[in-house]
Amino acid sequence: MSPSRLLQRKIADAAALVFAGAATLFGLVWLFWILWTTLQQGIGALNPALFTEMTPPPGSHGGLLNAFYGSAMMIGLALLIGAPIGLAAGTYLAEHGRYSRLGSVVSFLNDILLSAPSIVIGLFVYEMVVVTMGHFSGYAGALALAMILLPVIVRTSDEALRLVPDQMREAAFALGIPRWKVTSQILYKAALSAIVTGILLGVARIAGETAPLLFTALSNQFWTSSLNEPLANLPVVIFQYAMSPYDEWHELAWAGAFMLTIFVLGLNIAVRLIVRRRKRP
Amino acid sequence: MTDQPATLAQPAYLRFEPSQEVVPETATQLSVRHLDFFYGRAQALHDVNLEIKANAVTAIIGPSGCGKSTLLRSINRIYELYPDQRAEGEILVDGRNVLDKRYALSDLRRKVGMVFQKPTPFASSIRNNVGFALSYYEKLSKSEIADRVEDALRQAALWDEVKDKLGQSALGLSGGQQQRLCIARTIAVRPEILLLDEATSALDPISTAKIEELIHELRERFTIMIVTHNMQQAARVSQRTAFFHLGELIEFGKTRDIFTNPRVQRTQDYITGRFG
Repeated sequence: MSPSRLLQRKIADAAALVFAGAATLFGLVWLFWILWTTLQQGIGALNPALFTEMTPPPGSHGGLLNAFYGSAMMIGLALLIGAPIGLAAGTYLAEHGRYSRLGSVVSFLNDILLSAPSIVIGLFVYEMVVVTMGHFSGYAGALALAMILLPVIVRTSDEALRLVPDQMREAAFALGIPRWKVTSQILYKAALSAIVTGILLGVARIAGETAPLLFTALSNQFWTSSLNEPLANLPVVIFQYAMSPYDEWHELAWAGAFMLTIFVLGLNIAVRLIVRRRKRP
Repeated sequence: MTDQPATLAQPAYLRFEPSQEVVPETATQLSVRHLDFFYGRAQALHDVNLEIKANAVTAIIGPSGCGKSTLLRSINRIYELYPDQRAEGEILVDGRNVLDKRYALSDLRRKVGMVFQKPTPFASSIRNNVGFALSYYEKLSKSEIADRVEDALRQAALWDEVKDKLGQSALGLSGGQQQRLCIARTIAVRPEILLLDEATSALDPISTAKIEELIHELRERFTIMIVTHNMQQAARVSQRTAFFHLGELIEFGKTRDIFTNPRVQRTQDYITGRFG
């Protein structure tokens, strides 16, 4: 190769590297900017009252206890609804319906549900539940979150089970063990960390959902433990308080945003740890 | 390393000579009759007829894609996991056609165990790996299961290596140990027939030698069919050998005859390495 040609290649190589590096940097800058702002504003607003007091009326100090509680209850209930159904449907897709027409139809429908705008799901639950019951409620909120969570878990558990090599399946079936036992005792165990990873990512996904809760759980300035009433929750409180003209509310919105970010970040780190542990034998 | 003559200081497991033992005429354990096999529209086996003798090792050899594994996969109907695969013809075990849909899969697979190319330990303890299928087939007390697990691990020549860590994950074992665990798991339910589908091809020579020794011992209690790419291995461990090519059974006979005095030209060409 002639020296000039070599030089040309080196320049092209350097240019590609610079371009790729700049593109990566461009993406990361926004992420760190968001994290930094949340951190800066949020940490200043953190105080013990956050976890002991209710959301205050305008002009006074308070906390976010009712919002934390409401979010936890609704995410928990959504998980209780979405995880078993999602896992069962994912199992159907990976183990029973893999070669069937119904399986591919279900898989396609699930993809549609997966990409359905969350506001549409909120409106749907509003029509079906809120209008029927005559009032906003935590149940409606949990249902909306479950409908967002469900397709995520269907997809991730389907993929987790498909990642289990066919040799493992064949070896288990070659022992003459029935399918339900192979699935529940061998394949779930082999895919466990991937399934848990999918569920955690699903929780991270619904933790910050705001639009569907606006239509369903609404919010509640006061404490209620009942899921049958409008229920305070972190995303809607952040939305309302951040849009308000009051400084105390702004501070609480930042604190809430900070806590939410930390929660989602923590889930993602947990996922990384699980995945890393899985890679080791 | 210098090029030393292959005959010098060759370990026993590399020697390439069919055993000179007299092959006993045992009863027929399994008969394959007019077996055709299809992957979708592609036919992988053509009118295969074969008699497998009890308490002996039958090796299935042939180039890649000749249908060796397909034959084994027909016998325990593992191909039924895939809807586009089907077998036609008869495979008789103890006089009953196992390809008949009325033959219950759990009965068949209890009678016919299979070990695959890649070791496939389940993500569970060594004890659970071996005892898993056992508790499905038989109502056994905890101590009976423990006895059967020990018995199976002893038969698979693994007991001494794992007896102190039965509760540990099977994933921590070496590849050779994992494969012997898979053999233990298979023989724990006391099958009559063992199918070994290239069971040593993913293993190092030492582990391979151990498993070959094991096959030699297991022959006393089981009817063994082994698919192998390794002709030396076929010569070392089997009493009878079947040579397949392009989905057809070309030649079947005593291993010594197949390797020293094949009747068909294609067999000779394959054994002497002219193709394959």
